[in-house]
Amino acid sequence: MRKYVNYLVLLLLCIGLASARVLAQNGPILTGTDAPADADCGITLSGKVTDHEDRSPLIGATVVLEGTPHTSITDANGHYHFHDLCPGTYRLVVSYIGYNPERLEKSVRSPEVINFRLHPDALQLHSVEVRIAKQREQIPQATGHLNGQELRQTHGQSLAQSLERMTGVTSIQTGPSIAKPVIHGMHSSRVLVMNNGVRHEAQQWGSEHAPEIDPFVASELTVVKGAAGVRYGADAIGGVILVEPKPLRDSAGTSAELNLVGVSHNRQGVVSGMVESNPAGIPSLSWRLQGTLKKAGNSKTPDYYLANTGYQEQNFSAAAGWTRQKFGVDAFFSRFDTKLGVFSASHVGNLTDIRNALQRERPEPEAAFTYDIGVPYQNVTHDLMRLHGFYRTGPASRLLFTYARQYNQREEYDAHGDQSTPGLRFEITTHSSEAVWEHPLIWNLKGSIGATYQYQFNRYEGRFFVPFYQSHTGGLFWIENWEKGKWHVEAGLRYDYRYLQAKLFRKDTPERTGQSELDNELLTPTHRFQNLSGTLGAIYHFGPHLDLNLNASTAWRSPTTSELYSNGIHHGTGTYEYGNANLGVERAYNFMATLAYVQNKRLNGEISVYHNYIDNYIYQEPDTVPTLTIRGAFLTARQKQTNATFTGMDVSASYQLTDHLLFATKASLVRAYNRSADEYLIWIPTDRYENSLRYSVERLGAQGVFAQNFLQISGLAVPRQRHIPDNYLARDYAMPPAGYFLLNAEAGTTLQLGKHQIEVGLIGRNLLNTAYRDYLNRFRYYADEIGRSITLRVSIPLNF
Amino acid sequence: MKLFLKPSLAFLFTASVFMTSCSNDEDPIPTNEEELITTLQLTMVPQGGGATVTATYRDLDGDGGQAPTVTGATLAANKTYDVTVKVMDESKNPAEDITEEVEEEGDEHQFFYVVSNGLNLSVAYNDTDSNNRPVGIHTRAITTSASTGNLQVILKHQPNSKSATSTINTGETDAEVSFLITIQ
Repeated sequence: MRKYVNYLVLLLLCIGLASARVLAQNGPILTGTDAPADADCGITLSGKVTDHEDRSPLIGATVVLEGTPHTSITDANGHYHFHDLCPGTYRLVVSYIGYNPERLEKSVRSPEVINFRLHPDALQLHSVEVRIAKQREQIPQATGHLNGQELRQTHGQSLAQSLERMTGVTSIQTGPSIAKPVIHGMHSSRVLVMNNGVRHEAQQWGSEHAPEIDPFVASELTVVKGAAGVRYGADAIGGVILVEPKPLRDSAGTSAELNLVGVSHNRQGVVSGMVESNPAGIPSLSWRLQGTLKKAGNSKTPDYYLANTGYQEQNFSAAAGWTRQKFGVDAFFSRFDTKLGVFSASHVGNLTDIRNALQRERPEPEAAFTYDIGVPYQNVTHDLMRLHGFYRTGPASRLLFTYARQYNQREEYDAHGDQSTPGLRFEITTHSSEAVWEHPLIWNLKGSIGATYQYQFNRYEGRFFVPFYQSHTGGLFWIENWEKGKWHVEAGLRYDYRYLQAKLFRKDTPERTGQSELDNELLTPTHRFQNLSGTLGAIYHFGPHLDLNLNASTAWRSPTTSELYSNGIHHGTGTYEYGNANLGVERAYNFMATLAYVQNKRLNGEISVYHNYIDNYIYQEPDTVPTLTIRGAFLTARQKQTNATFTGMDVSASYQLTDHLLFATKASLVRAYNRSADEYLIWIPTDRYENSLRYSVERLGAQGVFAQNFLQISGLAVPRQRHIPDNYLARDYAMPPAGYFLLNAEAGTTLQLGKHQIEVGLIGRNLLNTAYRDYLNRFRYYADEIGRSITLRVSIPLNF
Repeated sequence: MKLFLKPSLAFLFTASVFMTSCSNDEDPIPTNEEELITTLQLTMVPQGGGATVTATYRDLDGDGGQAPTVTGATLAANKTYDVTVKVMDESKNPAEDITEEVEEEGDEHQFFYVVSNGLNLSVAYNDTDSNNRPVGIHTRAITTSASTGNLQVILKHQPNSKSATSTINTGETDAEVSFLITIQ
């Protein structure tokens, strides 16, 4: 019944919004720059803008119909579009930084496709970063992008929560402050995060360790869905997340940006600032400084506060680059530093404690609002230092080098014992280097060949969880792209070798004896893994509006040290976890098809279907016999391997109802099946359906002082997960929670003040204050999700 | 090759090869720092004289590994016993008495005693913390007629939640053991 009431509210809001639109249209505020044309003038003019030399699409090129108000910016595939033109003669002007502009006069009587190939401007070749940006696109795998205003609307949220805006991406949560991205049902060590071109290396094996990345560093977030092991390294079975900062300034001047965010449910405040410069006197030099401060208190659900869920962050980054026509070098350093409270009610002991927690109406102890963080809590620091350089070996060919060092430190302070020193401290140091050659166009082939090497060392102090280990990983890859007519084909191959040596005492293994001499013997087991990854994909352009992407790839993943050697009680989940030193590699065969219907006047959409077959899928299975300890009984969980399939579909579509009103719909579905046991896998994301209605006006107010105005309401429906194994309660403490519906709203505007453009955004989440629990929150046994939350954000750019 | 003569490039390449190829041979150091309860022992002294009786749960290698050893107790019928519970870490040498820590933090710990159906035994608290709430390190056990059953001893950690309304279901379990008791 409640569900229907929610739908009714949504419907009423839609009607209210629609009537508001009618009033606005009749009112005098609207300027008619893009008023609909006569019914007789329905001609579409479109085409593609590419580089004359390597034929890559130019993204963001400007196409102007001179003498008319019409302008079109090329999209991710280099396409431009003009709709509703009347017959007549038009003068097209195409321009792009680093290229000579082109002009063409054309008499248009019927729909036309006009393509442009721009010649690079030799004098402007130093605008190198622009040329890098244009080569990123056009891969046959399904991808999602988040940038510009839409990315800024996610400010104040964690990286994983931001990514949830894309279809096929959800997150696995551990309470309100820790979220990890899930792509097509897979997460943790199956999803790679590339931070500024460097493979993010931390304690990513655990679902309760969020990526240690400040989202304010990014100007674009990209998700590559499905196995992408060839370019980014083995392990990328589920997909890859690319966190990309804005390229350093390549035009003389200094600018800054200040971002302020306030969030209501945990009274979070965020201040993030950035300043960058390209001194006029030293045109080769560019630099940037950026920093973020974040502080949040206890989160509030509709009915109560969650004790000890506050957190704080102090992050900063610095970058500097030296770019000449032939070569360039840049250095980047970032530090992420956070202190996170661990939700008090999740701090339980044995199985009885968890059953008690499930019986409770409200979590205990009761809490009020506070910014104070008590025990237990975590202190996490992540440093990234990156050196990168390129050398131009021809007009369309480069040699690239990257070296990076990452240092990750995690301290866990316990509620027990001495609280001045951490109960557990991890330190992971990772050195990685990469050399890539992007070869020139040969026989219509564009590609790159590269080598990577990584060394990692892990140590800890305090109680045992994951042993000391060191690993060496080396890889060689080769990717080629072939383009002709309507076809674009991509093929790639990669070889990886991994050597892993763990160091642990017998007392930390299941072979422990209870005799101290035997138990304190140091064991040094070693593992060697090697294998091939491959990818083959094709894009077929039916025309400027319709693309079909097909992709088949295979990737493999070696077991993580925790899957091999973890041995002990996992607090918060009441589980005694045993590793399995005999685990072998798992291999994925990923098939994907994506049909994209884009840049149309009214209806646009994308549908992507995938089937992922995983041989020897590593997963944790509960044992029927609990582990008995002096603290009572704990669920026993062991690492096993099986053959699994992940099959699913992502759909997104939008329809432009009027010039100002856009209806959009999104759906993500995934089914994961254990083929050997002939049953569904547990802890797989539930289906998600989202509908939104967006009202936007380009200019409002006197002289259009308010630009890019929009108001959007959306509804998210998540049903109960029904695709579960039969004897579910033998593997989990509680059945999947009931489905839920959330009403969200967003509004934004850009205020034109002199030469400054101040962007303001207002976001309301869970507006109906619905009490619900999400299946993929590991703390769903203990408490509800966050209640109504309002975020206000301001972005102030400053130009000097 | 002219390419590799470029100083900046050569520097980068050398640096990356050099810095990546270092390896670390550090070994872990065996520690016994973590707080571990290996042993829970009940000492029962009969009032008015008689032999002292003990019941012990001992798991020297901690969780997992070797199975624990559990020794129950035989009590005399219709008698009152002064009972003291002791929790220890016997994996260390000398053994560490954790009961002292529980006593110090008495306002956030409590022992609970659960008698199974059919066992004619009752247990009453005989100590208090700084807030006048029972701790349960010292108790009084009264037996009646001959019977057999289990006595469960549970130590709860109840930081900020031990109160007049807190129960056996409040807080986190630090110890939970069961002894076979025979009254004859």
